[in-house]
Amino acid sequence: MTHLTIKTNAEDFHIAKLTALAIGLHMIEAVIPSPLPGVKPGIANIVTLFVLYQYGFATAAWVSLLRVFASSLLLGQFLSPTFLLSLSGALLSLGALCVAQYLPKKYFSAISLSILAAFAHIAGQLIIVRLWLIPHTGIVYLIPIFALAALVFGLINGLIAIKLLKNN
Amino acid sequence: MARKLNHKPLLGDWLVIIASVVAIIFMFLQFWSFEQASKLKIRQGNQIISTYDLNQTRDLRIHGAVGDSLISISQGKVRFKQSPCNNQYCVHQGWLNRAGQVAICIPNQISLQLIGAKSSYDSLNY
Amino acid sequence: MRLILVICIIFLAACSPKEAIYNTQSYVFGTLVDITIYGETEEKSRLVADEIIHDFQQLHHHLHAWRPSKLNTLNTAFASGKTPVHVDSVIANMITEASALSIQSKGAFNPSIGGLIEAWGFHHDEFKPINVDQEKINNLVKAKPQMSDIVVKSNSAFSNNPAVRLDFGGYAKGYALDLAIASLRKQNINNALINIGGNIIALGKHGEKPWRVGIQHPRKPSAIATLDLQSGWAIGTSGDYQRFFELAGKRYCHIIDPSTGYPVQGVQAVTVLIPPSANAGVLSDVSSKPIFIAKPQARIQAASLMGVENFLVIESEQHIYISQALTKRLTWLDKDAEKYAVEYGTQTQP
Repeated sequence: MTHLTIKTNAEDFHIAKLTALAIGLHMIEAVIPSPLPGVKPGIANIVTLFVLYQYGFATAAWVSLLRVFASSLLLGQFLSPTFLLSLSGALLSLGALCVAQYLPKKYFSAISLSILAAFAHIAGQLIIVRLWLIPHTGIVYLIPIFALAALVFGLINGLIAIKLLKNN
Repeated sequence: MARKLNHKPLLGDWLVIIASVVAIIFMFLQFWSFEQASKLKIRQGNQIISTYDLNQTRDLRIHGAVGDSLISISQGKVRFKQSPCNNQYCVHQGWLNRAGQVAICIPNQISLQLIGAKSSYDSLNY
Repeated sequence: MRLILVICIIFLAACSPKEAIYNTQSYVFGTLVDITIYGETEEKSRLVADEIIHDFQQLHHHLHAWRPSKLNTLNTAFASGKTPVHVDSVIANMITEASALSIQSKGAFNPSIGGLIEAWGFHHDEFKPINVDQEKINNLVKAKPQMSDIVVKSNSAFSNNPAVRLDFGGYAKGYALDLAIASLRKQNINNALINIGGNIIALGKHGEKPWRVGIQHPRKPSAIATLDLQSGWAIGTSGDYQRFFELAGKRYCHIIDPSTGYPVQGVQAVTVLIPPSANAGVLSDVSSKPIFIAKPQARIQAASLMGVENFLVIESEQHIYISQALTKRLTWLDKDAEKYAVEYGTQTQP
């Protein structure tokens, strides 16, 4: 008889806590109305940013994707359009962070990364909307509004992330 | 992973913010400068047949003064697809997609008028 | 929250209160008549618009160029000799006004060439491409029908030239615009926009803002530019795209040069903007023709002959000319047109 043992350390525990926080933020966001249902500003990105700075990109990617899958399961939206929107947003925003993390730290803080991630997040969602959910040109109207929202939320998320990192 | 932390935006951050603002202004100009039409008003003679949402794909057959005109709506744009008239000017007009645009089939007395949130003019000189 | 706020503002902006605007369309003069009245009750607007449409239909009925009409009776009399026949006072006034404008244009505007228009096959609701009879055209040009051949005395008229055949196709719509403005004023309506087959006259404003009109691109389904049409101003376009047929790859439009007998080639559209006057409508219909017919280098002279300061000439996609006065009033929508538009020199001033 073999024993299955899962060895956890303090870091794993901490990441789990952060993922739970990200899920919480994701759930809060789920109730915020949006002109295109399912398209959200991505406040859970604060956690992704925090993890990126504290534990590196690989961990941030884990937290972000775990958050997307877990939240959709909790909200009963797994594999639904909303889930796909979250996933594409998270993937593109991770892609942006993956590149942006190499920006010189002397000039670019978490604010830059957050704004770039927010743009990527909204772009990922709008691509899904355009390709699959609303396949016509009507949504081009909304692009500037979402871009503006991404800038505003990206900026706020970035400032919050910096504050959290300083306190830590 | 030691990273220098600042609570104030750095030079690069300002660059990102300014670039974003410029990009957003550009997007507003690009997507909002001309008025994308959202609705289509079809008239036959002096009667308004109906107002249709442009964001759909369907063909309409409208009976006019000399026969049936086939009007095709396709996701934000509309055109005369077939017309019983002789000159076929209406068909040659092609697709319309902006608020204020009109296509008229004078022989069949059918007019298409595109309506947006706000048209850039009240009437068309042609 | 900010996102929500932004969206709320946008939705609020989109749902501004409904305006007191009345719009109706009908088909008269073989084209679309569009009447818009602002700031009146719907009942009053409808009543006045219906009356105007009725007047238009009556006018069209009297002036029809190829169906039995008062004008055709007159044309038959002109063709058969110099015996004076009774002429309706409205038509007599039209002949007098059109004659003066024809002389002013040095014969470029000539409503007595109905014979030529008929020979080109445009005297049909549904005309077809035709191989024209060149000899017939030459004979019609040689016969030199002129407005000055017509003699109107009290309520009778005759023609010194049997080739005279009146066709008010380039005049009646403008006349109808002036008629409509007169009856709107009589009914105390202060704000309206009348569009007859593209010729537009404005009365008052559209609420706080002046009436704004779009100018059709001669080859695209969209507007090339917009301008504000102040109260009393009228705009008219002569285009090769309104009535035309194509034969062997060549376009034959309904605007015929009286001196050659052939449809004008090499110009797509001429737009004129006319300031307020008792016959602004007529001038918006008539004055574009001499500019359309003139050789490219003679267009400025043709415009100044007609007293037109605001005009736009589109010869082709890359050849667009605009008078200095009109440049200030016009807002381009078509970026290509804006790029190619060239301002005419200062010699436009008479």
